[in-house]
Amino acid sequence: MKRWVRNLFYRATLGDRDYRFLFAPGPPDEVVVLDCETTGLNPRTDEVIAVAAIVIRGNHIMTSKAYRAVIRSDRDPTSESIKIHRLRAHDVAQGRPMHEVLPELLRFIGGRPIVGYYVDFDVRMLDKYILRYIEAKLPNPRIEVSEIYFALKYGDAPPGTVLDLRFQSILADLSIPSLAQHDAFNDALMTGMMYVQLMDMRKRGSRISRGRAVRQDAPIGA
Amino acid sequence: MQSFDITNPPFDRLTHLEAEELRTRLDIGYFSPKEVIVGHGRSSDWLHVVIKGAVEARDGSTIQTVLGPMDSFDSRAVVHGAAGEDYVAAEETLCHLIPRHVILDLIHRNPAFAAFFYSDVSRKLDAFAYQRKAEGVESVLRARVRDARYRTAVIIDGGITVEQAGHCMKDNDINSLLVRDGERIGVVTGMNLSKAVVLRRLPLDTPVREACHFDVVSVDLDDFVFEALLLMTKHDKRRLAIRSNSQYVGFLEDIDILGLFAGNSQLIPGRIERARGIDDLAGAARDIQAQVERLHRQGLKIKIIAEMTSDLNRRLLTQLFGMTAPPSIREAGCLLLMGSEGRGEQTVRTDQDNAILLARDVPPADLAQFREAFSGALDRFGFPPCPGDVMVRNPIWSQSLDGFIRQLKAWVLRGDAEAAMNIAIFVDAVSVAGPADSLIRAKEALFALMRGEAILLARFASLVETFATPSLGVLNTIMSSVGAGADGIDIKKAGTFPIVHGVRTLAIEKGILATPTAARIEALVEAGSLEPAFGRDLTSALHAFMEFRSQSQLRALHTRTMQTECLVRLDEITTVERDILRDALRIVRQFREIIRNRYNLGAF
Repeated sequence: MKRWVRNLFYRATLGDRDYRFLFAPGPPDEVVVLDCETTGLNPRTDEVIAVAAIVIRGNHIMTSKAYRAVIRSDRDPTSESIKIHRLRAHDVAQGRPMHEVLPELLRFIGGRPIVGYYVDFDVRMLDKYILRYIEAKLPNPRIEVSEIYFALKYGDAPPGTVLDLRFQSILADLSIPSLAQHDAFNDALMTGMMYVQLMDMRKRGSRISRGRAVRQDAPIGA
Repeated sequence: MQSFDITNPPFDRLTHLEAEELRTRLDIGYFSPKEVIVGHGRSSDWLHVVIKGAVEARDGSTIQTVLGPMDSFDSRAVVHGAAGEDYVAAEETLCHLIPRHVILDLIHRNPAFAAFFYSDVSRKLDAFAYQRKAEGVESVLRARVRDARYRTAVIIDGGITVEQAGHCMKDNDINSLLVRDGERIGVVTGMNLSKAVVLRRLPLDTPVREACHFDVVSVDLDDFVFEALLLMTKHDKRRLAIRSNSQYVGFLEDIDILGLFAGNSQLIPGRIERARGIDDLAGAARDIQAQVERLHRQGLKIKIIAEMTSDLNRRLLTQLFGMTAPPSIREAGCLLLMGSEGRGEQTVRTDQDNAILLARDVPPADLAQFREAFSGALDRFGFPPCPGDVMVRNPIWSQSLDGFIRQLKAWVLRGDAEAAMNIAIFVDAVSVAGPADSLIRAKEALFALMRGEAILLARFASLVETFATPSLGVLNTIMSSVGAGADGIDIKKAGTFPIVHGVRTLAIEKGILATPTAARIEALVEAGSLEPAFGRDLTSALHAFMEFRSQSQLRALHTRTMQTECLVRLDEITTVERDILRDALRIVRQFREIIRNRYNLGAF
């Protein structure tokens, strides 16, 4: 309810009328899986340095038409962030400014629901910029994969069960090969693989056993 | 998408650019358990490469294969527009999806990649033999001079005459001699002698030192072959002396280096013919074996290796027969090679399957002596004795023609598995020495006995049911998922035997005298018993199995574990090889079905 009112507000006050498509529903049966790489975990002070988004249509992950971008900060990087992200500084310097990337990304996402792992964080990071450029926040519905996973695995768990919602644990439970992590595209892709499998399992009413997770190593690139 | 593995065959054949392009065109599909991914007879817009999960290839209700990570399917559905089987997800499965037009485009641009998509097994096999070829050249250049079959050095005195030197070459079967002249050592070749006599018109009693030269170029026995090759090029010589511990031990000729590449098959018949005793023949027998290995390593087609090997083995046995048989037997006896040796399909030697048919009575003492001498010599050559005792040593397999025909009759009447096996072995016989008409008469007698005897033929044919053709991969997946390691499949039981025996049965029915399975298939196609296309499939499946078999035989020889000689371990072969194996096994299943229906084996 709160979000609905909020979205209504942003639709009315949208700074750039060109972005009204964000408020219309996307093609049915399609979602976008999104991942941002950031300089840190604080949305107020940290910056997005890379972003990837992949459309999923039904059970089909459209990796061939993925959106990916490396972002260069509009401001000069502070010496402190250089200190923390020294290794990435070069990559970031290769990137494009956010004001170029953001319109492309928003058009790519359209009105589709956004899928992610701790998706609220990614959306909050993006909202920071979006608010600045179009005076609105992302109105899209959000789908949290760890929530679906939680329901399938711990939905009927007795109180006191230790919860484990780590990314690696979900991968292992679904026997999805682990790709090199902390790459926006790979993270988005693994999240997308989780999403299609979890949605299917939910539809079929199948559950994830809480027994010791058997780790089946099947590295995708081996 | 970086996660797509381009080292996984057949994608390893793409150029860097092609691979990068492929990666940008990939999508990923998720399939729910029991979901049909590609239906039998349907085309597919994607080539699927399994990322995780398992996909069953089903034929009706039977599971033929379970595909796992890195396996791809179904090339037939993508390229030829109709899948050979149903492909059904067995569990939650993710696959890379490569669009059909991308595959078709790569097929047009890259012939090596295209080979994977050939519909017919033999062309795929060619491509995969080609892949191994690369090892050949490199391994030769890394070989040492001592690995080459070089010629031993013979040293003569510089004072002997040109004529004597010529005789010395002939007697030792060499073409160059070392000449000692005081402190110096020189070399004289056959060509030097000829030139001295013909061109320079020197008399035959000229001392040989006049004809030889003293600028000897030599390599060390432990030098690499490529060093020898460099020396030959640098000094423009076709022949180098070989040193070892400052002694000359032999000559290395350019042809010997060629032999390392191509094998010395051209030299072996000479060795066999010149053999003066059983020991010399034993050396030639070892050569034949080494030859098989070398040719195989160099990626020669299995069909050609088998042909060459059979030819050499036959020469060997003919010569041995001449050495061990007393005149009475040489005159009356027809020496037979049977089983795989008779079909000419043997590469790595397995058992002695041989026999002798005597056109007339011979003195019993001669026969007894021959039986022991012949089989004993083969033991010494390293041919393992036949477990079924099908050898000259066994009186059943060395008797008069009339006696043997009576024996055939008895086997036909008995009709049990052992009798059927004996008949099967005999049907494959070829004669290698002595009057061949004995064999033809015996075979015709056998065909006459079996002609029109539907029940007999059916009983004979039913041997194809001895071993079930396994569904490749079912066990594999189960075993590896519990971590017990992958299993293997017995190539002989699963592949070679059903084809060979089925074709043999049809050949008996049609009275076809040819023994090689490929020749029988050809004759059967001509007689209208088999469809031409299926005949081709059958032949290439057989060659595929022979290829796999000889690989595992060679490995078994090296590791001295002969019990695994027919075993192909599924985790040790590439995905392309697994794919070929799958195709070949499907052809075997089809063929069994044909045999089953033809002889109504359901009734057994």
